[in-house]
Amino acid sequence: MIYCFYMGACLILVILQTTIFPYLPLLDRCYDLLIPFIIYLGFFRSIREGLFLVLFLGFIMDNLSGSPFGLYLTSYCWLFIGIKWATTFVQVGNRLLQSLVVASGVLLQNLIFIGALTFVGPNLKLPTEAGSTVVIQILWAFATGPVFLVFFRYIQRRLDDLMKEIVSGRTNFSLSSRR
Amino acid sequence: MFSKKMVLIVGVIVLITVNIIVLSATTKSYPDFGFGHLALSFVAPFQEFVTRCIRFARGIWEDYFFLVSVSQENQHLKKSLNHVIQKNNQWQETELANLRLRSLLNFQKAITNRVLAAEVIGKDPSAWFKTIIIDKGKADGLKRWLPAVVAQGIAGQIIGTSNHYSKVMLIIDRNSAVDALVQRSRARGIIKGTLADQCRFEYVLQKHDVRIGDIVVASGFDGVYPKGLRIGWVSDVIKRDAEIFQEITVTPYVDFEKLEEVLIVLNPQQHEFASQQ
Repeated sequence: MIYCFYMGACLILVILQTTIFPYLPLLDRCYDLLIPFIIYLGFFRSIREGLFLVLFLGFIMDNLSGSPFGLYLTSYCWLFIGIKWATTFVQVGNRLLQSLVVASGVLLQNLIFIGALTFVGPNLKLPTEAGSTVVIQILWAFATGPVFLVFFRYIQRRLDDLMKEIVSGRTNFSLSSRR
Repeated sequence: MFSKKMVLIVGVIVLITVNIIVLSATTKSYPDFGFGHLALSFVAPFQEFVTRCIRFARGIWEDYFFLVSVSQENQHLKKSLNHVIQKNNQWQETELANLRLRSLLNFQKAITNRVLAAEVIGKDPSAWFKTIIIDKGKADGLKRWLPAVVAQGIAGQIIGTSNHYSKVMLIIDRNSAVDALVQRSRARGIIKGTLADQCRFEYVLQKHDVRIGDIVVASGFDGVYPKGLRIGWVSDVIKRDAEIFQEITVTPYVDFEKLEEVLIVLNPQQHEFASQQ
């Protein structure tokens, strides 16, 4: 059930940023919406659960994008590693901190992408709109990042409650049938 | 022998090095891993569904709610049509003259390329790469490196296909390169993407005559794009004394923001040089 939620959430985010956002004036240079999801996994889920999804999402995005294969995988993996390391000393519940973390995640991904474009790509020159793109994405991430984190956590809790109810319902049913 | 911290640092350095090597290997070419089409097949049907829903809703809005402006537009279009009819008569005359001259000079008749229309159902999730996803794939006869064009000019080329969907790299992507010619002076160079709405026309020698407004067309030497297809117009030319090549900016004719359909050329007419290789 929880993996169905993860898949559904990822699919909605991918479709939002590939079919709807590019045609909207203010959102055409929005940040990668999967970054808050990766951060959520890093903050609130176990390494085993998170790593599987990080690899899966990296693979999907690498194949959907025109980027060199492995670029999304790289950025998601390093982001996940960074978040896991940060949880050792960062207070997860603070909203301002969450904004900063999402904005830092967007910055990290952009740095990896720009690095790949310029240092290992065919052209050493930086894209002309690189600065403005990065700034716009960071501002978007700072403003909307925590909303995604809160939403993911809320859905997660509801699902956990639902699962507990189902499990307790089954246990009660099996006990009463034994009697 | 080694402390835990030391091992961690060495591990991270090794990981970064391996990462950079792998990325530099995949950046220089687009390796086809075979299983890449699975991701495309998984996500593209949903993209197609959402895109069709949006277009349907937009169609209703534009067809029924914008009728007020349609009347004014109709008047304007009627005027334009009269003007175009006159122009068309002139062009028909020119075309007939062109045909006569071609036969006189024993030129080979231009082969009409076989094309397949495809709808754009998704765009690249990243702002750093310019690709689109179209609703035709291997089952429709598409394969990698086939050119995608529209009426205005060249749009890009296919870089990945699944059974029913394909990924097209646009000419404004930084990894794109098109062998091109200036139509007027025949100056040759390479059109490269810049991620913005403009392209750079590289490797054009200082001695060649290139002016603002010149039309740039595909040369056909790259073996991908058919010769003579329009790419864009020269919007800026900078000549520096110390350099061998000119700095030329080309504005593509295609509006990539509004790209909704493309035509895939299934039998691109390749230049002799390219086909011999």
